[in-house]
Order: sequence, then C-alpha cells, then structure tokens
Amino acid sequence: MFKDLDPILHSQLRLAIMSLLISVQEAEFTFIKEKTKATSGNISVQLNKLKEANYIDITKQFKNNYPQTLCKVTPEGIDAFEKYVADLQSYVDPSKL
Amino acid sequence: MEDKELTGEESLKLIREMIGEAKSSYISKGVASMVWGALIMLCSLISWAHVHYNFELWFDVWLLLIVALAIQIFFNIREGKSRKFTDRLHSSISYVWSTFGICIFMITYYQNVIPVQHPLFLYMLLYGIPTFITGGIFKHKPMIIGGISCWILAIISLYTNYETNLLLMAASGLLAWLIPGILLWVRYSRSKKNHV
Repeated sequence: MFKDLDPILHSQLRLAIMSLLISVQEAEFTFIKEKTKATSGNISVQLNKLKEANYIDITKQFKNNYPQTLCKVTPEGIDAFEKYVADLQSYVDPSKL
Repeated sequence: MEDKELTGEESLKLIREMIGEAKSSYISKGVASMVWGALIMLCSLISWAHVHYNFELWFDVWLLLIVALAIQIFFNIREGKSRKFTDRLHSSISYVWSTFGICIFMITYYQNVIPVQHPLFLYMLLYGIPTFITGGIFKHKPMIIGGISCWILAIISLYTNYETNLLLMAASGLLAWLIPGILLWVRYSRSKKNHV
C-alpha cells in the first residue's frame, strides 16, 4: 500500500526527527533526544541515515568545553518532507489525489 | 520511540505531535512583557503623581527602564546560551525588539537636543510598532489589540495636556504589555501542564 512513500522518511524515529527539525531552524542532539525519548544510539543511527540521504546537515562543535551536535534540515530534506506529507494525505484521503 | 514502520494515519499523527512538541518549546513565558508593562505603568503613574501633587522626586524615575533593560539583556543572553534550538521566528522578533530599543534611545536623545511639544506621542507611536508586529507573528490577539491601542492613545495625546498624557502612557503599558504578558503566562502555564 505504501510502496511509493519515501522509505527514508517512512520510519517512526526518522519521521519524528524530521518533523522536529522542520519546525525549527537548527536543533541540538539533546533537544531531539528529549522530544523523541529515544536512545542516543538509535538517534545517532537514524541521523546518519538522514544525513546520507542529504536530508539533514550535522555540525559537530564544542560549546563550553562540551561536544555539541547541531542538526539542520537541508532544502532537499524540506522538499522530501513536503512530498512525503502530500503522498501520505493522498493515501489516507484518496479524494486529494 | 522505536524504529518501526507506521500506517498512514499513525505517520500523520506523529508529524502533528512532533510539530506540536517543537512549538511548545518556543511558547513565550511573557515575563519580559509583564515586567515592561508594569514598569511603564509604574514610571508613568509616578511621573503623573509628581506633576499632579507637585512633590519632590530625588531621582529620574525613568532611569528604572535602563536598569530593567540591562537585566533583560542579561537574562536573554543566558536563555539564549541554554536554548537547545534556534528558530526563525525568535531570530526575526529579536531584530524587531532591538530596532525598538535603538529607536527609543534615539527619540530620547533627539528630545533632549530639540525639545518637542508632544514627546509622549512619539513614545506611544513607537510602543505600538514592535507590539503589533510580535502579536501578528505569534498570532497573539491581545498584543495586536495592544499595538493598535498605543496608536489610538498616541493620537488622543495630541489633544490632551502633559499630565493626562502620562495617564495615557500608563494605559499603553497596561494594554500593550502587561495584559498580553499575563495572558502569555497563562497560555505557557497551560501548555506546560498539558505536556507533563
């Protein structure tokens, strides 16, 4: 049924991460962890998959001597997310096709 | 949260929930708005009482605003450092309020160099601008109404004396900042309760 949906976005945690990042300009790893309540390891794996698809940018830096990971949606990520939502809506409500 | 495949309805529900989660993180507490509103009211009312009852004031009461501004900048920097995300709205709003701060300083400076006939008109005119823009961006109706009220009060001030204008200025602090700030605080407290 969902064969045409973007497989990168059609997973619970990756979709949650993209939905969070689409609402802000840039977010720290800890913000994503706090909001999704997933484990750090699982989030890292999914962030890497999103990065490999070029949907997000990841910047690693230091803030007050502590490592900081910043994530940001790319223009390709925004396009993919918008297409995914439109596809989903057409599946849920075929009258929108 | 696991990494499982979702149905269409579940995916849409998840998107809505996560966008809601992100939004709840940047709801304003309204503290700055309440403090400014209360201070503008206090300074205006003390100045009015000073003119009306003709008593001695051993310091310029409006200097309190500079102290409040310094405290606010300190808290803004601290809050900015601890914030785990940045969003476009806050970046835009901070530019609007920085512009407002600079303009207030410029108007005060101008008025000290060239005394104007209705100085409070200019202040109320300026109060309305960032309030109206912020209210519009955050879709916070009390702030939109507050901004418009400042402009109406500014027009009225052209036809009343200085003493009455100080009361109009107090009303502008109440309508533009104190009431909207209290309502923002109520909204923030409710959203926190819903997310516990």
